[in-house]
Amino acid sequence: MTEDHRISRRTALITLSALGVAAAGGLAAMPGTAWAQALGQNESVEDAMKRLFGGKPMRDGAASVKLDVPLIAENGAVVPISVSVDSPMTPTNYVKHIYVVADKNRIPVVTRVTLSPEAGRAFMGANIRLGESGDVRAIVEQSDGSLLAVKREVKVTVGGCGG
Amino acid sequence: MRRAAAWRALRGAAFVALSAGCAGTAAEAPDYGSVPRWSSRALPEARGEIRTLTDGTRAAVRYRGWTTRDFAPYPTYGYDDSRREPPVERVTMPASIEGDAHKGRALFLSRSKGPCTACHLVPGDDVWPAGSAGPDQSTIGDRRLPDQYLYQVVWDPRVFFPNTVMPPWGTAGIFSAEEIVHIVAYLQTLKAPVAPEKSPERNPFTRPKPVGFGDNLDPTNNPAIVLAEDAEALWTARGASGKACSDCHEGGVARAMRGVAPRYPRFVKAQGRVMGVEDFLEVHAPATTGHAMPSESADNLSMTMLIKMQSNGMPVSVDVASPEARAALARGKATFYRRVGERNHACADCHTSERSAGKFLGGRLLADVRSGLTKHIPTWRTDRAEVWDMRKRFQWCMTPLGMNMLAADSIEYAELELYLTAFDNGKPLSVPGIRH
Amino acid sequence: MSDIGKVRLRVPSSIKAGDVVQVRALVIHPMERIERDAQGKIVQKNYNYINKVIVTYLGKTVATFDTTQNVAENPFFTFTFKATDPGQLKVQFLDTTGGRYEGIADIKFS
Repeated sequence: MTEDHRISRRTALITLSALGVAAAGGLAAMPGTAWAQALGQNESVEDAMKRLFGGKPMRDGAASVKLDVPLIAENGAVVPISVSVDSPMTPTNYVKHIYVVADKNRIPVVTRVTLSPEAGRAFMGANIRLGESGDVRAIVEQSDGSLLAVKREVKVTVGGCGG
Repeated sequence: MRRAAAWRALRGAAFVALSAGCAGTAAEAPDYGSVPRWSSRALPEARGEIRTLTDGTRAAVRYRGWTTRDFAPYPTYGYDDSRREPPVERVTMPASIEGDAHKGRALFLSRSKGPCTACHLVPGDDVWPAGSAGPDQSTIGDRRLPDQYLYQVVWDPRVFFPNTVMPPWGTAGIFSAEEIVHIVAYLQTLKAPVAPEKSPERNPFTRPKPVGFGDNLDPTNNPAIVLAEDAEALWTARGASGKACSDCHEGGVARAMRGVAPRYPRFVKAQGRVMGVEDFLEVHAPATTGHAMPSESADNLSMTMLIKMQSNGMPVSVDVASPEARAALARGKATFYRRVGERNHACADCHTSERSAGKFLGGRLLADVRSGLTKHIPTWRTDRAEVWDMRKRFQWCMTPLGMNMLAADSIEYAELELYLTAFDNGKPLSVPGIRH
Repeated sequence: MSDIGKVRLRVPSSIKAGDVVQVRALVIHPMERIERDAQGKIVQKNYNYINKVIVTYLGKTVATFDTTQNVAENPFFTFTFKATDPGQLKVQFLDTTGGRYEGIADIKFS
């Protein structure tokens, strides 16, 4: 265990040791594995949208959903993305899910984030993979079941001698 | 091959001082006579070796996934390689070949050739990502340039532009005569009006400059920091001789190594050569603790990062004044400006603001040697999920340019790194970096 | 990869009661990509990647990420939570081979 005092200036860092597989005890009951495999399927983006949302109407979320992703990704292997939604995050009015979908990826669904009102803000961030240039979508499911969608095109630059 | 034979004839020619514009004043003319020979101790794939396969063909030994093509016909940065750039070739466009603009466009965009679009913008939504290192050619057809002129420029532009950064595509054998005829036919079709841009990103002259990858010293952002911590165990681990780093360097790595890294690369008298931290470790660790730490090994990279991190925030302060440093800097500078490889490029072609720094090569913005290429090295490479030091970066720069890489711990690379690091003197060290 | 499963959490050093706090969590993990054989067919095997990230605060789940192989190697995840009381923030990473890695931050108010 080490402390990174010299590295951090603004933040407290907590470093932790990994827990081995042996510690995985009561996890068998968790639905994680099966669900996630169902989440990521080799399909077209149209099929993915149909599978996840059926024919439910989606409103343009431009007014309340901010999808932050670089317009140009210098390589598709690591693309930082974040989504934030204007939401009071109260027990009666909150964002339940944020989906991230990459249209051109072989497996279009990237992640589904499930939030509770205790999150305080409707926000998620991650670094994702993009196979090629194309739209990235954020689809927001609110606690009343309504859907909001935004998308942005990301150009993926192929490698070369640079970097 | 005619050209290869011509190049071989140049081999063995006496070293000539490089032109004043490149190598600086005569007083700084590089002296290669005092450089010792160095047998590489790097990992086998980092030594720049060439082996002969059972079928007699030669293949380069390089890192996994890198091309094994042997670039033997082309000059390298080796101090014992006296070959210089190929002679300028004047050519006449063959009248017997009918130019096909369609084929020419495909060749212009072909990634297996240039691609020409890495430097030149042309119309088309499929042109991505075009660079701006060369002129925008979107309307070159309007200039009514003779076919013969365009043919010569593509074959070997040095006839008209001696200091160009454009490779001599025909002289180098990358494009054939027929292919260049097709390219000329394509260029002649490029006329105004150019369709308005659908996206400002397509055009490298209006494309926003890429932003970085966040705080390189934040361990939740830069995995290299987590990996560097492995070296803390190495610091106290006993090697074959029964000793550990911590036995001689007292007070913990933070105290013992603070202020050490900003002075590297430096001339190490005992070895008679310039050494970076990595070069020093691969000699020093086995000699003291008995722990093998070859250049480009995980242990060497982790330990280099750990040592450099102890000086983060301190100004880089390499020696540029001693006679040994001055001699090394003169050689490093000559290397930086020397054209090598199949594509006949010099480091300076891309990394000085007089040439292409600050412009796009494809989708990548070329860094300027004056703004600092070294103070964040070793760096995390996000596209490869690997830590790279300066030497691997050199090796990677040089491979797509068509020259056989040198050993990671070569004196040539150490002195080139010293030349680059001298531009960073006074700037704070910030290791590990994070780059694409 | 001996480093697999190393976790780092970044939490602001100064938190006041009632703050909505943004946290970033990094885990060293290969996030194996789909491989193809010489014929271009997808190699069928149990690819090792993180498919679930669970964030709990004071024992209650605040956020869950269900993830696919589209998440990058050595991924980081950012999220927020409303700091109501001092206590434990825990981030668990579960991968497809049964691996479970976690990071814990002790939330205190200043």
